[in-house]
Amino acid sequence: MKNAKTVYPFTAIVGQEKMKKALILNVINPLLGGVLIKGEKGTAKSTAVRALAELLPERTQVEGCIFGCDPYDKSGMCITCLKKLEVNVKLNEVKGKMKVVDLPISATEDRVVGTLDIEYAIKKGEKKFEPGILAQANRNILYVDEVNLLDDHIVDVLLDSAAMGVNTIEREGVSFSHPARFILVGTMNPEEGDLRPQLLDRFCMVVNVTGERESEKRMEVIKNRLEFEKDSEAFAKKWKSKQQELRNRIKKAQELLHEVTYDDSILEMAARTSIEMEVDGHRADIAMIKTAMTIAAFNGRNKVLNSDLLEAAELVLPHRMRRTPFEEGIFNMSRVENVIGQTHQG
Amino acid sequence: MRGRALQVNYDYVFPFAAIIGQEKAKKALLLNLINPKIGGVLLSGEKGTAKSTLVRGMAVLMKGMKVINLPLNTTEDRLIGTIDIEKTITQGRRSFQPGILKEAHGNILYVDEVNLLSEHLVNCILQVASSGLNKVEREGISVVHPCQFVLVGTMNPEEGNIRSQFLDRFGLFVEIKGCEDLYERKEIIKRRLEYERSPLDFIEKWRLETDVLSQQIKAAKKYLSKVQVSDNVMKLAAELAKEANCAGHRAELVIIETARAIAAYEKRSNISVGHIKEAAEYTLPHRKREKTTKQELPPETPEMEEQKESNEQQSKQPEEYEPSDQAEQEEESEAEQQEDPNTLEPKQQEDGNSEVKDKKEENDEMSIDQIDDIGRTFIVKNLDIKAIDRKKRKGEGKRIRTKTDAKKGQYIRYKIPKNKLQDIAFDATLRAAAPYQAIREKKGLAITIDNSDFREKVREKRTGSTIIFIVDASGSMGAKKRMSAVKGAIVSLLTDAYQKRDKVGLIAFRKKEADVLLNITRSVDMAEKCLKTLPTGGKTPLSAGLFKGYEVIRTAQKKNPDMLPIIVLVSDGRTNASINGGDPFEEAMEIAKKIRMEGIRSIVVDTEQGFIKLGIAKDIANALGALYCKLEELEGEQLAEAVRQCAIDCNY
Repeated sequence: MKNAKTVYPFTAIVGQEKMKKALILNVINPLLGGVLIKGEKGTAKSTAVRALAELLPERTQVEGCIFGCDPYDKSGMCITCLKKLEVNVKLNEVKGKMKVVDLPISATEDRVVGTLDIEYAIKKGEKKFEPGILAQANRNILYVDEVNLLDDHIVDVLLDSAAMGVNTIEREGVSFSHPARFILVGTMNPEEGDLRPQLLDRFCMVVNVTGERESEKRMEVIKNRLEFEKDSEAFAKKWKSKQQELRNRIKKAQELLHEVTYDDSILEMAARTSIEMEVDGHRADIAMIKTAMTIAAFNGRNKVLNSDLLEAAELVLPHRMRRTPFEEGIFNMSRVENVIGQTHQG
Repeated sequence: MRGRALQVNYDYVFPFAAIIGQEKAKKALLLNLINPKIGGVLLSGEKGTAKSTLVRGMAVLMKGMKVINLPLNTTEDRLIGTIDIEKTITQGRRSFQPGILKEAHGNILYVDEVNLLSEHLVNCILQVASSGLNKVEREGISVVHPCQFVLVGTMNPEEGNIRSQFLDRFGLFVEIKGCEDLYERKEIIKRRLEYERSPLDFIEKWRLETDVLSQQIKAAKKYLSKVQVSDNVMKLAAELAKEANCAGHRAELVIIETARAIAAYEKRSNISVGHIKEAAEYTLPHRKREKTTKQELPPETPEMEEQKESNEQQSKQPEEYEPSDQAEQEEESEAEQQEDPNTLEPKQQEDGNSEVKDKKEENDEMSIDQIDDIGRTFIVKNLDIKAIDRKKRKGEGKRIRTKTDAKKGQYIRYKIPKNKLQDIAFDATLRAAAPYQAIREKKGLAITIDNSDFREKVREKRTGSTIIFIVDASGSMGAKKRMSAVKGAIVSLLTDAYQKRDKVGLIAFRKKEADVLLNITRSVDMAEKCLKTLPTGGKTPLSAGLFKGYEVIRTAQKKNPDMLPIIVLVSDGRTNASINGGDPFEEAMEIAKKIRMEGIRSIVVDTEQGFIKLGIAKDIANALGALYCKLEELEGEQLAEAVRQCAIDCNY
């Protein structure tokens, strides 16, 4: 993608540590399942997501494949690549960067899931599938700004694909399916209405952001911003080493992630926490462990500690509490601490 | 890519055998594999309980039987099949391109989030399911092919319900819950992580178990024809179905088929009472109906429509209510003295969690404001039907679907454009043009399109309704913690609105005027916050409240002509302040009539209490053409459904 304009550096964002952490964790481990950032206007939500693009690591993908298939993962491959493998055609590898793919809320369904290629049909009289946003989003970050304002039927499609990792198209004369494994990142302003619980549950984590309260921090925000606007390139240069540092850390964490192990007691704590907090289903347990593992890797450890789990719980649980829509603040961190502390001693 | 359903990564799904718990769901799915005559299963449960994983895992178990996925955004042409553009153009002959239904024949048709499936597609499926044939008559194609499938659906009931006719098509029903056992939960996490780390290795690890299961099914399938169905078994099945008061005869048939499968699975040639009972557990839950008292009729199936109508007519006749004397009303409305403490329905208050602030009984016309806490809330049940409307209703469902003219919404099928072409359906246009390509002059292109070929998209959009709450916050409502109960009721309704993605607005009238506390928004949370701090006190300017509501709706309608506005008036109707200084009651009636003329549907919740009831709210309700109900009747019952029903009526 052409990115001529300099993006605000991720590391230059003041505060909002939890949000930054959540985003980074998702980059390290794409299997986590995304993050929803909730907060009022002007809290650097979108800036952070856009800035993330700069930090995204390189990975190998099949050359010329529109879905950017991983040449080593048969389970997530598109049909074209699979067929090539079947007849022993070698898949050429190229390095490609992970992308942030935008899903504008005005997007129509045919653009999201893909549709019949009209031009091709008229010129050639043959049908061809024209891939949509979900095709682009495969192995990338799918970013939905104002996700709570998304049309219901688009949300349904997203849910479908997010759940299966596959986008199935049976429309407008086209029958096709392709891998659509993406990291779903959404931002929303809760004043505009809430998200459906089903979609909410698909986000691995939810982070609430608020504006900085300390005047010192606020000043820093203004200062950075003004500096950036005055000369964005100089600003970017200034933060270059910090950016590189974080990039390296992400890369290391990615490598380390495969080695991260956890004790049985950690598993037990996660399960116990979910039972204690009465969350729906099992997604929370799994998300908690995966997040804790990623946190451990980010911290350069190959073993999950209780503190990792606690941190993970804070990101993963609050939006999964079984609740009626209006009850607030049932999420009680001390209860989680209790569980995690208790099991630790025992 | 024609005709082939490319099923990416179905071979790499989480192995069925590795799924922990959910024994009932597993068994239901297996029974369907053994005996497809059962007709499918619906798995209903909260999110994250392996519903979809189960179904996808099942696909691998049976050779020769596939799971055909029906995505929610399927268009009609792909579902039932249509003209094959390529062949038609190249060969100049109309040829048929089969749709999903053709593939589904003899297989499993799987719909994830089945409760969100477009109404139109549901109708298509129902039609095919009942005849076992797919008749395609479109675009000059006339094809009939057999189409029998096992219908498998998964749904999260939080997202809405399924109409009963469709529900009945699912042979079995299983409710799924997450498991609470610590050990099992741990194991679930472990296996999932292991799978994610390397799907192929994990599948390989479970290969043996998977094969054993496949063998079992195969053996049971063979054994099935040996299972005898005795008269006694049939009788028992029929009795069970009768006891559950099921409509039609599908229930007992499914019980027997299921019992056969269970017996075959256990390799027994006779069906035992135990088998039948087990079968009934899967078969009856979604078919069970309460014994027919009038308001507990099940959701309508077409055959029942008539019956219901006559019911409604009967119910309309005895009006238990004589509108009271006008003169009396005027005086009475000022002083709000309830002599009889018993008339206040204790229901609303006795349950513990109504944290009503202790406050002195203010027993007269108050000038001091008071703020009541939100009283006890409850879940507004989905009542199936109520004799609310006079018109025959065609639609059903939690969310209302409207056909929209705007270019938004889901494209479900095409039509021939009436006026200027706006939203072209390319695929349909191409199909219409395809047969004529051989004879048309082409200008270097493969296809020439004529004016007569153009087709337009028909889109369907789920719109929630827009519910304007007009709440009486006058002094009279403050008495006896009445407001607290009212707030509880409104919050319950808001909860319901939230689930259905309705928009809400909140207007309160008190003292001399009506205030828009919350303009129309999707944020139900905000509405609740506004409500929390709503004080009561002062006079009752009912007409001002109604007028404000009317204004708000009019403005909103300008922005969004598609909206379905509903007014919910919560008041005792004892108005005593007018906008123009005239007679307050007359004025309110005037405005009410006007609202009715505009076609805005409404509901009046009467909060009147006390020994002497004036029934003014009822008069207002009549003028509004509104559904009328008392606050006490609201709980767990009809209001939410009434709101929905209202919306459906104005839609059709």
